[in-house]
Amino acid sequence: MSAHATTAHNEELNYLNWKTGIWSWLSSTDHKRICFLYLFTILIFFFVGGIAALLMRLELATTGPTIPSVVTSPHIYNVLFTLHGVFMIFLFVVPGIPATLGNFLIPLMIGAKDVAFPRLNLFSYYLYVIGALIGALSLWNPFSGLTAVDTGWTFYAPYSTTTGSSVSLMVFAAFVLGFSSILTGLNFIVTIHQLRAPGMTWMRLPVFIWASYATAIIQTVATPVVGMTLLLIIAERVFGAGIFDPTKGGDPVLMEHLFWFYSHPVVYIMVLPAFGVVGEIIPVFSRKPLFGYKMVVLSSMAIAAVGFVVWAHHMFVSGISDFSAIFFSLVTFLVAIPTAIKVFNWVSTMYKGSISFTTPMLYAMAFVFLFMIAGTTGIYLAMLGVDVYYHDTYFVVAHFHYTIQGGAVIGLIAALHYWFPKMSGKMYNETLSKIAFALVFIGFNLTFIPQFILGMDGMPRRYYNYPPEYQNMHTLSTIGAFMNGVGYTFALVNLLMTALFGKVKAPRNPYNSVGLEWQTASPPIHENFPETPVVDKDPYHYGTPAHV
Amino acid sequence: MLGLLGEQGSDFAHKVDYAHDIVTIISVVCTVAIVGTMLYFAVIYRKRDGVDHETPMIEGNSLLEVIWTVFPTLVVIWVAYLGYDSFVDMRTVPPGAMEVNVTAKKWAWDFQYANGKRTTGELVVPVDQPVKLIMTSKDVLHSFFVPVMRTKMDVIPGRYTYEWFRPIKTGDFQVFCTEYCGDLHSGMLARLKVLPKAEFERWLADDSEELKLASMKPSDRGQEIYNKQCVACHSLDGSPRVGPSWLKIYGKEGQLVGGGTYKADENYIRESIYYPQAKTVAGYEAAKNAMASYQGQLSEDDITSLIAFMKTVDGTQKIVPAQPAAPKAADAAQLAAMSPAERGKALFNDPGNMCYTCHSIDGSRLVGPSMKGIWERKSKMSDGTEIVSDASYIKESIWKPQAKVVEGYPPAMPAIYEGKLTEENVSDIIEYLKTLK
Amino acid sequence: MSSHAAAAHEVAPGDPPHIHHMDSATAYGAAKLGMWLFLATEILLFAVMFCSFAIMRYYHLDAFHKASHNLNLYAGAFNTAVLLFSSYTAAVAVTKAQRGDNRGVVVNFGISILCGFIFLLVKGYEYSEKAHHGMFPFVWNESFGDYKNFLGIYYCMTGLHALHVIIGMVVMYIYGVRPALKNRYSGRYYTPVELSALYWHLVDLIWIYLFPLLYLVG
Repeated sequence: MSAHATTAHNEELNYLNWKTGIWSWLSSTDHKRICFLYLFTILIFFFVGGIAALLMRLELATTGPTIPSVVTSPHIYNVLFTLHGVFMIFLFVVPGIPATLGNFLIPLMIGAKDVAFPRLNLFSYYLYVIGALIGALSLWNPFSGLTAVDTGWTFYAPYSTTTGSSVSLMVFAAFVLGFSSILTGLNFIVTIHQLRAPGMTWMRLPVFIWASYATAIIQTVATPVVGMTLLLIIAERVFGAGIFDPTKGGDPVLMEHLFWFYSHPVVYIMVLPAFGVVGEIIPVFSRKPLFGYKMVVLSSMAIAAVGFVVWAHHMFVSGISDFSAIFFSLVTFLVAIPTAIKVFNWVSTMYKGSISFTTPMLYAMAFVFLFMIAGTTGIYLAMLGVDVYYHDTYFVVAHFHYTIQGGAVIGLIAALHYWFPKMSGKMYNETLSKIAFALVFIGFNLTFIPQFILGMDGMPRRYYNYPPEYQNMHTLSTIGAFMNGVGYTFALVNLLMTALFGKVKAPRNPYNSVGLEWQTASPPIHENFPETPVVDKDPYHYGTPAHV
Repeated sequence: MLGLLGEQGSDFAHKVDYAHDIVTIISVVCTVAIVGTMLYFAVIYRKRDGVDHETPMIEGNSLLEVIWTVFPTLVVIWVAYLGYDSFVDMRTVPPGAMEVNVTAKKWAWDFQYANGKRTTGELVVPVDQPVKLIMTSKDVLHSFFVPVMRTKMDVIPGRYTYEWFRPIKTGDFQVFCTEYCGDLHSGMLARLKVLPKAEFERWLADDSEELKLASMKPSDRGQEIYNKQCVACHSLDGSPRVGPSWLKIYGKEGQLVGGGTYKADENYIRESIYYPQAKTVAGYEAAKNAMASYQGQLSEDDITSLIAFMKTVDGTQKIVPAQPAAPKAADAAQLAAMSPAERGKALFNDPGNMCYTCHSIDGSRLVGPSMKGIWERKSKMSDGTEIVSDASYIKESIWKPQAKVVEGYPPAMPAIYEGKLTEENVSDIIEYLKTLK
Repeated sequence: MSSHAAAAHEVAPGDPPHIHHMDSATAYGAAKLGMWLFLATEILLFAVMFCSFAIMRYYHLDAFHKASHNLNLYAGAFNTAVLLFSSYTAAVAVTKAQRGDNRGVVVNFGISILCGFIFLLVKGYEYSEKAHHGMFPFVWNESFGDYKNFLGIYYCMTGLHALHVIIGMVVMYIYGVRPALKNRYSGRYYTPVELSALYWHLVDLIWIYLFPLLYLVG
């Protein structure tokens, strides 16, 4: 891939150039190269999902049909929001940080040469590709509206089990993708247990590793449940099994329970790694240890655990019993506490620090702001009486975009910037990246704050058309969406161009981080470390120790 | 207090709004405090002159951890209680509530009152009295949301769910479907009309329309039902629509999807109305699930009337005005010789335009408003404005149907006429409509 | 992927394979942990159907009783015995491998695979009986309408289980029988035998739950 030839000097050889040719990349079991395979693919789907969103926002910019030549009917709009949800969640954010940065960093951060099962790792990637291709196939010819799925990414029965579109195909794609996610999670758990370098005890692991560990547990435990549920939807459609369809004696609410049992923990798969990224960035650019390391670690594990027992807060008005509703509401509040603890610890890390405003640090600070909004708007939705009003309105849409985009996606972009020198061996232009950051930040808030207001006024979601009194907020939101899209494009193109054509070489450790991954070359050699490292310090030993 | 959720229409709305206000204040204060602290630290501890200054190796503080774990926990427990408090009222129906049965189907809301009165798209209730909605769906999941009352509940096929409210003011309010249900989910709206008690009693007792139906002969009654429920999908002239045509349907024989044959006798027709997916006519596979069951909506008597009507659709009898039989597209010479109103009538009845499938000319309500008396009629639009159906409004409604939708009607008119019907076509149609008094 | 010469991959029979980033003790631990995690995901997969079964049964108790009595109890009991026995021989295969008795591995896994075949044949017989009476997808006879809920989930559960039986048989062959025929295993290295047997034990365990639930409790 890179232009410089392999030289006689061994120190020039790194994982990027020691083997060249496209086949060496496509068949590589090197976790660092697999990171790039995933990164390249998930970003393609990010853009496809993003274009679907922009088409939706264009249509929604005014009441009545706005772009009838493209969105020719309500059905096409419904196909678009289904595509947007499925691609963004299953093909972009769920693989997201774990499949890219997780793959790249986990062995480096624990002092290992690779993950526990490198060939399984590559297999996971190809499972992902196959799942993605099947999913794309189910959207074949979307603009003739003949077979494209329009159920929404939630596939609620009985609409999904009775409608005449390629639901079975798309749902099977999600099953294959889930399998990829399970195998990655399994791989990471075993890696973290078995391959830590000498001296790397559990309580010396960086919080990114703890976050990845908690995420991997959720991936392994929760995903099989939705996988089976999706297979049951296929069984219902193809064989008439009668589990979810009330005309055959089935129960549609059962499908919701089974679906959300995974789909709530999946949001923690999406956001926990981002929490880990923020926990790595703030200490470096404050030159201070992460405040309350033990509590931050504990909070990641607590979120993973408690996240499994809150799923029915998506179902308060689905016809569940009042007692269930009260239980799930209370437990949902409890899952908010560990997240708050993290935020307090991050901010405290900056106290008496020496703060640098690099691009990663800007994204990390933006994360704190965006996640405060995400978390507090979640409080409204956890409250029973208020959720009855807000359920299935734009308030929910805005809330989950703050958590997923303002949380997980910002975390991914932050991580790509922070570890860019390590991964590519080059330095990007800080001015350009900061301009992109500004566009992303302003555009994002401009897109979704109007949507909170729409929700307060009762505007329902998944609506192709709406009464005219909602138009002003929709128009504002559309403008923001385009700004947001331009920002992301700018940020990622900047990184891509630098990776391919950049001239500024990165030093081994440009930010003077104490992380283990920064103690080896940038980019690393194929085996990561010339010799197995031995660890004898805490993970964030920045600053001057206090005198006793 | 803060009025963020708009008008309060029910007696428990203020509890929901109170809980909402408290959380708003807490959220704003916390966000400002935390983000403010972060920005404050960022500024006063920033790196100066490009060189890091000395920083203390502070690892944590147990007391702080305890404080900021315990305190937020207590706050959220209080907030959880506030949510519970407003919820409990919503789920406890007071005794003596007036019950209304709600049936959701793709894509409209049907209501039935205790005295048998039925409405579609419009729920009328008296002020100051609790009303309990007992709801079920005919097909897929729907959800009944009345923002001004602050209530919402999913409507599930094969089950009953309930929601209730006690309106505290009269008025005309929006109802939305808030569970995605397919193509016209965003069109599945309804109006909630809260009337003063006496006016409501009068409205409830008004069964003039029901009486009219009861005194008709069966085939006429069947035609009335056809005009309301079946015309959008079943033609009378042999042309296929979403479903098969009813021309000569009685006794017809043919193939079914999946093999097998049918004969459209009384039993087959009844089965197809109550269990539409049981035997689908060959060639209509794609629309197999489009017809919702009419169980609970059409009685056995209704079915008998429909069958009586179907027997009259034999191609020999001229079917009385509401549904013109076999309209023919006129040729150019004939068109030139016609008056504008006659040309407009031909356009209206042209199967290529299909105006008559959704707009009656005798005053009865189909998918869209009736064209009888449309010229210069005053109507209320879905956004509350009042308009007069003059030439410019009618033209706009033909070319851009979603621009102004009459209140209580779904935005279902396809935007296919701009470019298809010229200025001259439109003015001819308007001339025709003027004749429909 | 690796530029090591082919010779580096040739390992003496009985020796653990060369893995470039782990020593053999760590590799063994990793493999076992990985397999146990995978088995956990399989259990969760089936748990969804057990859950759905419980709920469907709660709603349609009488129909479930009736439909369950319609199942062939003898076939089910016979299959249970067959799988239990095959689990025993799988465990024996592991002991043989630990002792370096590769022939013992071939014989015992061979018996387990044979038992798998017998299980599938009996299951096939049960299914064809049902199809004959119109109690099978695509040939449903409407008079058995109220059996549909039970049978729907019965076919899903036993069908998925049968698929896992096939997978288990393939795994025991590829990772057990074939290498053992080349004397691959010894006391120093028998990991694939152990993992294959673990998988087969899970397949058996799932049936141990399925059989009483579907055939007895009903």
